[in-house]
Amino acid sequence: MVFSSFIFLFMFLPVTLALYYITPRRFRNLTLLIVDLVFYSWGEPMLVLLMLVSILINYFSAILIGINREKKALARTIFVISIILNLGLLGFFKYVGFIGETLNFVMPFLNIPIIQVSLPIGISFYTFQTMSYTIDVYRNTVKVQKNIIAFGTYVSLFPQLIAGPIVRYADVAEQLVNRRESLQQFTDGVKVFLVGLSKKVLLANQMGVLWDSVRRSGESAGAVGAWVGIIAYTFQIYFDFSGYSDMAIGLGKMFGFEFMKNFDYPYISKSITEFWRRWHISLGSWFREYVYIPLGGNRKGLGRQIINMSVVWFLTGLWHGASWNFILWGVYFGIILIIEKTFMLKLLKKVPAFVGHIYSLLLIVLGWVLFYFEDMAEMFEFLGRMFGSSGFVMRGSIVSTVISYIPLLVAAALISTPLFTFIYHKIKSKPVLCVLDNAGCILALLLCVSALASSAYNPFLYFKF
Amino acid sequence: MKIKSLLKYLPTFIFCGFIFVFMILWIVIPKEHYSPQEKRVLADFPELNFETLFSGSFQKELDTYLSDHMPARNFFVGLNADYELFSGRNGSKGIYLGTDYYLFPKPAQATENLTKNAGYIKEFAEDIDIPVYMTVLPSSGFIYSSRLPWNHEEYRDDELIAGFAKELGSKVNYVDSVELFKEKSALSQLYYRTDHHWTSAGAYECYNNLGAAMGYEPFAKDKFRKESVDGFYGTSYSKSALWFVTPDTIELWSCEDQSADAVSVEISDGNDKKSGNSYFFREQLENDDKYPVYLDGNHSFVRIKNKDAKGGKLLIIKDSYAHCLAPFLSLNYSEIIMVDLRYYKKEVSALAESENADAILVLYSLQNLSEDTNLSYLF
Repeated sequence: MVFSSFIFLFMFLPVTLALYYITPRRFRNLTLLIVDLVFYSWGEPMLVLLMLVSILINYFSAILIGINREKKALARTIFVISIILNLGLLGFFKYVGFIGETLNFVMPFLNIPIIQVSLPIGISFYTFQTMSYTIDVYRNTVKVQKNIIAFGTYVSLFPQLIAGPIVRYADVAEQLVNRRESLQQFTDGVKVFLVGLSKKVLLANQMGVLWDSVRRSGESAGAVGAWVGIIAYTFQIYFDFSGYSDMAIGLGKMFGFEFMKNFDYPYISKSITEFWRRWHISLGSWFREYVYIPLGGNRKGLGRQIINMSVVWFLTGLWHGASWNFILWGVYFGIILIIEKTFMLKLLKKVPAFVGHIYSLLLIVLGWVLFYFEDMAEMFEFLGRMFGSSGFVMRGSIVSTVISYIPLLVAAALISTPLFTFIYHKIKSKPVLCVLDNAGCILALLLCVSALASSAYNPFLYFKF
Repeated sequence: MKIKSLLKYLPTFIFCGFIFVFMILWIVIPKEHYSPQEKRVLADFPELNFETLFSGSFQKELDTYLSDHMPARNFFVGLNADYELFSGRNGSKGIYLGTDYYLFPKPAQATENLTKNAGYIKEFAEDIDIPVYMTVLPSSGFIYSSRLPWNHEEYRDDELIAGFAKELGSKVNYVDSVELFKEKSALSQLYYRTDHHWTSAGAYECYNNLGAAMGYEPFAKDKFRKESVDGFYGTSYSKSALWFVTPDTIELWSCEDQSADAVSVEISDGNDKKSGNSYFFREQLENDDKYPVYLDGNHSFVRIKNKDAKGGKLLIIKDSYAHCLAPFLSLNYSEIIMVDLRYYKKEVSALAESENADAILVLYSLQNLSEDTNLSYLF
């Protein structure tokens, strides 16, 4: 079930809110757990079992680690088995086909039969969440959660279950057992949710339409069209992902949870190092906390630091998808970050700010080319087009399409900056804000619902010519 | 609670009110079975059992069901169309809003199909001993290009049609309509504003023009009695969802020299048969889309007889534009057979020979000709 669907907005959410708030406080986690399982099994009726297995593995291994804390070797064995099981499930369901194909490509004589497994929704997110818990229990930085309902609620919490943010157990441990919902928090949640829904439905989806048109127009797009297209994709992926995170954070607030911010205007960065502090923050901090720092981070000399960064960025790429282009994308950023760490950051400090912005945006946009195209031949064809392999100007029908999207592109660019948030906070104390807030909510609701209605409006007129 | 704090928390009440009221409306409003705007049957409530639930098909179909039966659906679809229009995306639903409430479908593209279709028609004409005539109709956006919005895809109908006609070979008697329409467009309204079809005035110009090539004497314009019916909302209107556009008036032209009981129309779609004694099927005027008033809209096979007409037998291979033209031609041909290749799946050359047709007219709009893949059924 996705948030931007009628079934979620007008069936699941009202029913869930009603059930949640009529439930006595001490049973609210149970209510949440039940609706979470319904939410997850809606699209994947059988794969919910996999999530339950994952919950049980981590629940029991944490308890066993807790009991055997004095017996270091045993605790360590349990911990290692748990990590192997977690990564094994993720590896099997996400990467088995990819590994098979890659081995067959490198060593064709092996002729490994390719197993086709459908990727369980959200497995990359919830596996990382549960691992954060088991690792922290092993490191003795959080208490063992003995209540399986509370733990199950944490893992399967529907707002962030399928697209993040990756909430660390340590960050919500207290909220899980002891949270106070309030009308203020709920109202904030509504606003954040509607901002996210608008980002997804009114910007990301539309930018996707433009990007599709550009790709379909092929050579007639020329270099100009190719750049407009990939910029549209740059906006699409940001508004899609950050919109989803906003919706998750907003929904969390409606149920009394506070999740960390996942995006912080990444496109205003002056370096790639800064970009990765602002983009998908919860993933970056997960890798820092559980991979980079345990490997030694920057405390063991520059050489070791570069190796550690390489490992982290290879894994970051791999986490995004089971395809070589994602690894390429991760490695691409890994290399840039290493270059920045060694000398580029110092250089960027000396030049005017706009140079840093242009430098970062160019690298980010080029990165999205690597991210988008799973087929290397198509990727190189598109890169060629961006640099003039099929002429510079746009020709044919794509011209008018691009012109018609200019207002939306301008809006997307402005909304990618903190401008509106800045204005919002400036007028926060003024009474006019109240009116604006409410008008904004109504407008967002109407426009989002109308866009969803419109995408399901299919005049069947072609055969009736 | 004070007014101020009430205002502060109002978003919660707006949001919850909206989703709860909508959920209830969704459940209680009576469900339509058919959408006249979309001309399609809406989804039924999906079957719920263990099998559909575990395979996920119930969930998928429920999604379609909910979107099909959304409360105030037309309002929301219209709101989205208005929003897209005013945020710069005129034409996002495939229809441009021009001046004077003209709605124009986006231009036809040069397709491989177009060349292929020219080849089929050429071969058809070469293999048959009956004279074949053809004309291709340009789109309203090309003819009324001065009414298009400033930012629009280029209409190259003249180029595409000329290129197509060139491929037809010498056996097809091609009659050009593009220049004629450009010339006459200022004098009368040749196309509807809210529909992609031509008006009776447009069809009359074509009828008048074809006479010289096909060898009949067209009736003069002042021989026709015109009956107007208001409230015609065509397919461009439905597609655009721009509900503020005003409706068209549809005109039914009948010739004064024609006796009332001379005409008979037989329609058949396989085993479904229907007949009438007028070119006009007036029950269609009850609908928003009134164009099917001409010969009852799309059917695979139509036979029109006119005792008053002097000419012989004409076979028309066509799309829906011919429905408006055939009543004019019927004044000159005692019998007309119309086949629509999108539904008629038998060999047309065999039909022409067994019916002893005296002439064949191939009539298509450019849009349809560039998309239709059924012309291979000609032979």
